[in-house]
Amino acid sequence: MTAEAELHHSTQPKPKFAERFDDWLNPIVVKELRQAVQSRFVITALLVLLAIQIVAVAIYLITTSDISFSYDAGRTVFMILFGIMLALSMLFVPLYSGVRLAAERSETNLDLLFITTIKPRSIIFGKMLAAVVLTVMIFSACLPFLTFTYFLRGIDLPSMAVVLAIGFVSVTLSAQTLIFLACLPVGRAFKFMLGAFGFILMVIGYVSTMASAGGMLWEGVGSKIVGMDFWQWVGIITMNYGFQMGLLLVLSIALIKPVSANRALPVRLYLTAIWSLGGIAALLGSWIEATHDPVIYWQASFNIIFAASIFTAISERDWPGASVMRSLPESSGKRLLRFFLTSGSANGLAWTGLMIATTYGVCWIWWRLFPNISSLSELVGSTRWLTVMNLYLFCYALTAAFLRRHWLKRISSKWTWVICLLLVSLGSIAPFLIGLLVYMNDSDWWREDYGRWLIGNPFVWDVAAHRELYLSFGTFWVVLAIAFNLQWFLERVRGFQRIERMGSQPFSDLE
Amino acid sequence: MKVEVSNLKKYFGSTRAVDDVSFSFASGQVVGFVGPNGAGKTTTMRILATLDEPTAGQAFIDGVSVIEEPEIARNLVGYVPDSLPTHRDISVHEYLDFFARAYGLKGVKRRQTVDGIEEFTNLSGIRDKMLVTLSKGMKQRVTLARALLHDPPVLIMDEPAAGLDPRARIELRELLRVLSGQGKAILISSHILTELAEICHGAVIIEHGKILMAGGIADLLSDSVPRRTVLIRVLGRQEELHRELLQMPSIEAARFNGEEIAAEVSGTDDACAELLAALVARGYRVVEFKQQRANLEEIFMNVTKGVVQ
Repeated sequence: MTAEAELHHSTQPKPKFAERFDDWLNPIVVKELRQAVQSRFVITALLVLLAIQIVAVAIYLITTSDISFSYDAGRTVFMILFGIMLALSMLFVPLYSGVRLAAERSETNLDLLFITTIKPRSIIFGKMLAAVVLTVMIFSACLPFLTFTYFLRGIDLPSMAVVLAIGFVSVTLSAQTLIFLACLPVGRAFKFMLGAFGFILMVIGYVSTMASAGGMLWEGVGSKIVGMDFWQWVGIITMNYGFQMGLLLVLSIALIKPVSANRALPVRLYLTAIWSLGGIAALLGSWIEATHDPVIYWQASFNIIFAASIFTAISERDWPGASVMRSLPESSGKRLLRFFLTSGSANGLAWTGLMIATTYGVCWIWWRLFPNISSLSELVGSTRWLTVMNLYLFCYALTAAFLRRHWLKRISSKWTWVICLLLVSLGSIAPFLIGLLVYMNDSDWWREDYGRWLIGNPFVWDVAAHRELYLSFGTFWVVLAIAFNLQWFLERVRGFQRIERMGSQPFSDLE
Repeated sequence: MKVEVSNLKKYFGSTRAVDDVSFSFASGQVVGFVGPNGAGKTTTMRILATLDEPTAGQAFIDGVSVIEEPEIARNLVGYVPDSLPTHRDISVHEYLDFFARAYGLKGVKRRQTVDGIEEFTNLSGIRDKMLVTLSKGMKQRVTLARALLHDPPVLIMDEPAAGLDPRARIELRELLRVLSGQGKAILISSHILTELAEICHGAVIIEHGKILMAGGIADLLSDSVPRRTVLIRVLGRQEELHRELLQMPSIEAARFNGEEIAAEVSGTDDACAELLAALVARGYRVVEFKQQRANLEEIFMNVTKGVVQ
C-alpha cells in the first residue's frame, strides 16, 4: 500500500507526443468510442445498414431493365441510399448519444462522473464529439456505395457533397437536440414524453432533410456553385446551424452544472454575443439588399428566445450561490455588468427586460433611418406584435413571482414558470369567456367589442381595432407589477455584493 | 483534515429526509453511519459527495463547503454509492482509466495510478474483463478502486458490504483498515453492525432523518444501555447466591445454568462495581465476574424504533 501512496508523488519523465495527444483527448470521447467499437449494437447497426444498402442497389439494378439508357439512375439510387443512411443515422446516432446519457443519469453512472473534477462542458462536448465521430463512421461506411452512383449518371460530385453535408448537419443537430433533452432534470415519465417529442422532431428533421436533398439533386448544384445566391444560402444555413448547435450546447452545459454555480453566465453571454453578431449581420444585410427582411427575421427569432427566457428567469434561484457571490468583482461598474450575467431570478429578469427593450430600440431606429426600403410595414408590425407579447409575458411573470413569494411560499421557485403559465392561460381565456357569457346574443359585441375582452391575451396585437387599449393596459400592468416587485428587486441589487469565504461553524462532534 | 456536518436538512416536499443533522469526524477515523432503511443515510452521504443540495445547513470538508464549492470539494471526496457500475461494453481497466482521465490524471502518472489501484484492490487479474460480467463483490471492488483513483482524504461509502459473501466482506474490512491507517477519514453505512463495530472508531445512529446517538464506539456501548449483564461464578454456594441475587433491588433478573449465574444489573458500571463489592463483603469466593458487553446491534435495536418515512 505504501507503493500506492507513492504513486501520487512520483516524478514523471517528459511525455512523448503520442502521450500528450492521448492526454489531450476528451475522456468522454475516449470512453464513448471504446464502448462503441466494442458494442454489438453498434456493429450490428452498421452491418444492417450496409446489408440494406447492398440489397437496395441490387434490387434497383435487377428491376430496372433499361438502366444503360437512363440518365437519372445515379440520382435515383443515390437518393435511395442517402434516405436509408439518413434514416438509420438520425435514428441511431441521437438515440445512442441522448438515450444513453439519460439512462446513465438515472443509473447514477453519470452521478459518479459529476463528482469527478471533469468540467460539465467537457462532458457535453465529449458526448457531442462522440456523436460526430459515429456519424462520420456511418457516412464513411456508406461512401463507397454512394460514390458508385456517380457512374450510373445523372448526378454530379458537388451535388453529392452538398447533400451529404446537409445530411451531416441534420444528424448532428438531432444528436445535440437529444443530448439537450437528456440533460433536462425531469422524472422518468416526463423523460419518456421528452423522448417521444424528440422522436417527432427527428421525423420532421428527416422529412425536411430529404425534401431539401431531393430539391438539390433534381436541380443540380454543379451549375449553381459559381453564383452568389448559392453561397449566400450556404452562409445562412451554416450560421443557423452554428447558432442552434451553440445554443443547445450551452443550454446542456448549464443544465448539468451544479445548482450553486453561475449556470446563467455561459447562456446569457452566448445569447448576447449571438444577438449582437446576428443583429450586425441583419442590419448589414438589410442595408445591402434594401429590405427589412433580415431585421424581421433577427428580431422575431430573438423575441421568441427572450419570451422563453422570461419563464426561465422567474424560475431561477432567488439569490446566486455563495461561491458565485465570492467571485464578484470589487468594482461597482464591473459588478453591475455581472449582475445581468449571473444566475438569479432578479438578474434574469433584468437581463431579459434589457434585451427586449434594446431589440425594440434597434428596430425602431432602423425603420426610422430607412423608411423607404421594402418590408417596412412588416418590420413595424412584427416588432410591435412580439414586443407587446413579451410585455404581457413580463407582466404575467412578475405577477407569478409576486404571488409565489407572498401566498404560495410552499412552492419552490423552480416551479414559478408553471404558475406563470397557468396565469397566462387564465388571463387569455377568462375575460373573453366572461364577455361571451354576458354578450353572447349581442351581434354588436361580436362585430365591434369582443376584441376588448381579449385584453389579457399576450398574442392579441393582431386585432388592430383595440391596440391602444392593449398597449395602455399592458403599460399600466407592467408599472403596477414592477411597483409590487420593486422592493424585492432592489434588495437583490443591493445584496449583490462580494462576500468573503464562510468559515465552518463550531459544534459538538465525535471527538 | 476534518469532515463537519452542521444542522443539515433535506426536505422532499413534506418529507424530512434529513432533519437537523450535525456530526464530525477526522482523518484516520472510520465512522459507521447506522440507521434503518429510509433513515436519511444515503441522502446525507449524497450531500457530502456533492451530488445533492441540502434544504438548509452546511457540510465542510477541510473547511471547504461541499454546497458552495462542490468543484473544490470533489477533489477531497471519494464516493462509493450503494448501486454498482452498469456500463456496458467496457472493461475494468478501461473504466478505471476513464475515471482517472476524468480526475485529470495524465500520461505515465495515470497509468501508474490505475495499475497501482488495481493491484491494491486485487483487480489486476480481471482488468480485461467486461464490467457487466463481474460478480457483485468484484463490482464493489471496482467501485472502491474508482473512488480511490484521485487519492481522496475522505471516503464516503454507502452500503459497501451489501450482498457480499463472507470472504469478500472480510477483505473489504481489511482494505478499510489499511485506508484508515493511511489517514483517510471514512464514513461508512452498513446494516452489518457486528462488522461495523469491529472496524469503526465511532458511529452515528440516525432514524427518521434525526441523529439519535453519535460518539465513539466505546462510549456508545457504555452509555446506551441502562443495564448490564454480568456473568458470575463463585466457589460453592452458587444456588444460595442465585436466590440472594433475586432479592437484591439492583438485580432485574438472574439465571443459573448450573455453572454460572447471569445477572441483569440495572444501572451503569457503578452498579456492577457495587455488586462485586457486596458479594465479596458477604463472603462469596468470586472466581469470575465478567460484564457481557452490549454490541452495536443491541444499541441499534434499543435506540431505533424502525420508523420508515
